This record gives sequence, C-alpha cells and structure tokens, in this order.
Amino acid sequence: MDRRFSIPVVLGILLFWQPLCSQARVFHDALGRKVTLASVPTRIVSLAPSITEMVYFLGLEGKLVGVTRFSSFPKEAQKKPKVGIYTRINIEKVVSLDPELVIATVDGNRREDVEMLEEIGIPVYVINPRTVSQILETLKRLGEVCGVSERSEGLARALNERVSRVERLVRNKGKPLVLLVVNMRPLMSVNSKTIHHNLIQLAGGRNMTGDQAHTYPKLNIEEVIKRQPDVIIVSSMKRGGGYETARKEWYDYPTVPAVREGRVHLMDSDLIDRPAPRIVRGLEEMARLIHPEAEWNER
Amino acid sequence: MLTGLISLGVLLLVIIISLGLGPAGISLGEIWKWLLGHGSFDETARMILFKIRLPRILLAGLVGFSLSLGGVVFQALLRNPLAEPFILGVSSGAAVGAIVGIVFGVGFHIGVPFLSFVGALSTVLLVLSISSRHGGLESSSLLLTGVIVNAFFTAVIMFFIATTSGSRLHSMLFWLYGDLSQSKLIQVSVGLPLILFVSAIMYGFSRHFNLIVGGEDSALQMGVEVKVVQWVSFLGISLITGLAISFCGIIGFVGLIVPHLTRMLLGPDHRVLIPAAAVGGASFLIAADTLARTIISPSELPVGVVTAFLGAPFFIYLLRKRGSQWTQN
Repeated sequence: MDRRFSIPVVLGILLFWQPLCSQARVFHDALGRKVTLASVPTRIVSLAPSITEMVYFLGLEGKLVGVTRFSSFPKEAQKKPKVGIYTRINIEKVVSLDPELVIATVDGNRREDVEMLEEIGIPVYVINPRTVSQILETLKRLGEVCGVSERSEGLARALNERVSRVERLVRNKGKPLVLLVVNMRPLMSVNSKTIHHNLIQLAGGRNMTGDQAHTYPKLNIEEVIKRQPDVIIVSSMKRGGGYETARKEWYDYPTVPAVREGRVHLMDSDLIDRPAPRIVRGLEEMARLIHPEAEWNER
Repeated sequence: MLTGLISLGVLLLVIIISLGLGPAGISLGEIWKWLLGHGSFDETARMILFKIRLPRILLAGLVGFSLSLGGVVFQALLRNPLAEPFILGVSSGAAVGAIVGIVFGVGFHIGVPFLSFVGALSTVLLVLSISSRHGGLESSSLLLTGVIVNAFFTAVIMFFIATTSGSRLHSMLFWLYGDLSQSKLIQVSVGLPLILFVSAIMYGFSRHFNLIVGGEDSALQMGVEVKVVQWVSFLGISLITGLAISFCGIIGFVGLIVPHLTRMLLGPDHRVLIPAAAVGGASFLIAADTLARTIISPSELPVGVVTAFLGAPFFIYLLRKRGSQWTQN
C-alpha cells in the first residue's frame, strides 16, 4: 500500500469531517448536565406548559411535536400531541414522537422520567428558572440550543427593557406589604424561594410571607389579620366561578388595611405562576396593583 | 345526671380555652374578664374571636358531636366494635361529590358542600338498598356492601387525583384530610337544628340499642321494632354525618374512638353513652382542632392528623387498662 497516498486521504477525511464535527454541539443545562445534540433539533417535545410557552415565544412551534396537558397557551398548543401531565410523563408516547430534543423543568417534572428518557438515548435539556431574570436567561439558552440565538437574544432584550421600566417606575416609592394568595382552600401563600416572591419584590412590594419555611405555607387567617397586609392579590384561574366571591369574602375582615382601602385584587394565575415570557406582563399588572400611584403612562 | 353535667362542663371549658388560643395572642385573662362583663376588645380582637375562632369552634363541636353519636349508634346497630359512621359509604360518597365539584370549579360556598351532601346520601341509600332483604337489614351484609362501595369510590377518588394537577389537587387533598379553617356561623345555624333533632331521636332509641346489642332476635321478642329502629337510625345518622363532612371534609377517627373511650369510661348503657359520647366528641374535636391550628402556627395541620395522633395512644392505654367493655356483663 502506498503511504504517500494515505496521508492526503487521511487529511482529506479530517477536512471533510471538520464541519460535521462542529455540527455535534454540546451544551450544559441548568443542572450542569452535558447535553449533546447531533444537529439543530427539528423535533422538540416540551414537558411543561411553561416550556411550551417559551418554545412558541421563540417562534419554534413548527418544530414542536409534543406538549403536556394543560398547555393552554397559546391556544394552538392544545392541538399538539400530548405526552401526559407534566408530573406523570408517558415515556412511550414521548419516544413514539421520535424527538431530537426534549426540554424538561426541575420544578415539576420527575427526575425518574428525565433519567429514563436519557437511558433510551433521547437528549433532555433541563431548565430551572426561579426568577424573572433567570427566565430571560433561559430563553436565551434555549435559543442557542435550538439554533435561533439571534432571535432569542433580541426577544430577551425587549423583555428585559420592560422589566427595567417597571423597576424604574416603582423606585423610591413606598414598599407596601403584599399578601399573595395562591390557593384559598386551604389558604396558601408563597415564601422567598418562589418566583412570586421575586415578582412582588420587582413590583416594589414586600412579600408578607417571605419569611416562612415552607415554600407554599398554609396560613391561618388570624395571621393575616395580625400582619396587616396593605395589598392582597388573589391568584385565580380564569375558568371556574367562585373567585369573585372569594375576593368579597375578605370584606368580612375590615380591620385589614388592604380590605379597608379596597385593595383586594384578582390576578390571572397563568401570568404569575408560570415561569414563561408572559410573566413580564404579570409583573407589569402586579406593579400597577401594588403602586397604582406610579406614572404608568410615562414612556 | 352527674356525668351529663361533668361532660357539659368539660365542653364549656374546652370552648373557653380554645377561644383564648391562636396565633393572634388574645389572653385567656382578657376573655375571662369579658365573660364576667367587664373589659372589652378592640375591633381586630373582636373580629378574630367572633368571626374566626368562635364559628370554627362551634362547627368543630357540631361535627365532633355528630360523628361520635354516629359511631355509637352504628356500633350498636351493626353489633361490631369496628363500625364507625363512615362504614356505610357516607365519607367516600361525600368525597366523590366534593371532588367532582372541585374539578368542575363549582365554588366552595354552596356548590362543593351541596354536591358532597348529595354524594353522601345517595351512597348510603345505595348501600342500604343493596343490602336490604324484605325490608330488614342484616349487619354482615351491610358491612360487606359498605366496604365494597367504599373501595369502589376510593378508586374513583384516586382516578380524579391522578388526573388533576395544581391548586385543585391541593384543595382535594385538604378536603380529604378534613379542614375546619373555613367555618362560618351560617353552617352552624343550618346544622344545629337538624343535629339536635336527630340526636333526640337517637336518645329516645337508647333502650332499644341496649337490647339490639344483646341480639336482634331477643330484642324482637322484647318488643323492639328492630327494622324501624335500623332504618330511622341509619338514615338519620347518615343525614347529619353527611352534612357535617360536607362542611369540613373527612375527619377520621373521631367516630371510632370517642364512642369506645366513653364506653370504657362509663360502661355500655346507651342511655348514658349516647349523650356522653356525643358531647365528648364535641370536646374532643374542638381540642384537636385547636391544636391543629396552633401547634405549627402560623401554618396549620390537618385536624385528622391530630385526632389520630392524640386518640390512638390514649385509646390503647385505656384498652389495656380496662378492656373494651364491649358487652354488658
């Protein structure tokens, strides 16, 4: 065999492989796990409603082949094939959709499900956004992973400007004590580990139950009366009646400042519960409720 | 008469102490002064005492009263020490009603209690009609039917739990554990007349219960209309326990252990047992609920946890010491 030929052949193969190798892309997800993708993914499965919202926000809906139940936003997402509830993923269904990338979240998906998908050989990118700024960061990362980093940078920047505007408008205003009610029966609020806490702070308020040990502390109504919140925000689902009645129920306790001043409000829970781009709208609405006196029309 | 006075005294004491306990710190001394006619509360304290604590205490009392009374009557009629007011399916039927209500978001004020009440009563009627033969109700057949229907509805409940997520799931679980935190005086005023009416009838039956425990045949020979007593009692008790749990969810254990505790302390005569167990059930649940709302304050425990936690060891202690006193010797 002629050695003189083999060197150019090897070099040629190396040169030929170079672009192919750069195609195999390695990312580190929110848990520091290594996720290797052969190419830009064209078939994506989302394992949570918030992830579905992000994928649509990034304009990648054409590549989204599977979502979970309760993926209610945007409406079109409901027509995508379902792979179960986010806490109970149907692995077989995910596999049958032949995804090149599955996106999961620490807060909701089960570790076992992620591990099983990995064992099967499907790359799973795990996200874990706990604050508004982490949501924006996650959007950028997902943009990179899915090969639309320019678009995602721009979108994240625009969201960030809206967040900064809210922060600017509530700066140097007082800091009202806010009770955020995430569930009425039992009465439950949020501690400092939640995204809601971050929203209340960004919106220029103080979270009444930030000091609690439990993430979603159950509250005794006496505690609410004792702590005297200035604003009460009831996170409510749009569908299903009873929320307006629940709001009125607070009027049984007129010594609470929020009740006395008529500052008991309802907010669409999807805007503040889901770590998704819409949370910026949630932040803006919440800031208006906490600081109605700020100059919201100023540009 | 003396036991009656003592149990009422205990109940009153428990009510007053419970009024004085809670995260908002209103001292027993202040309440005592107010009871004696001097001293008053500011508006916040008044609100906490009379809009939050008192309705809750009264409702806990009514629920404990009904469940415990139900336990005594069911144990007598079914001649089984394991019988409790939920054994004919009241609780699982109520749970299915309530959970369907929560899933469809019908509202917690009227919708969920109404559906759970309907669920409770229709389940009991179903169990009674399945197991009745020629109008008579045979206890082993009743028990078996109750167990099977309970098992079936438990599966229905598990189905709903498995297919629901988010805050609805929380509401469901809380309902299943029993929750008195949303008590309203209106519930007390709806429940009180009905519960008093049914308990008067049960008290009137107490001699019959004594005879039925000794055996249905001998009770018949002694002139007891066993069928009438059975139907009236099963329906009456199911009515009030169904109402009780439609207000506050399933609170287990009270209906099983308070009757036995009372029986161990006072003997098996239903003329004493019925009033004492009912009033004792009221005191017991008020005390348990007061602990539930204060022990990990500002958060709360499900009251069912406390009833089992307190009741079981005490129950075992008495059982070892006195024996069950299940039959009249």
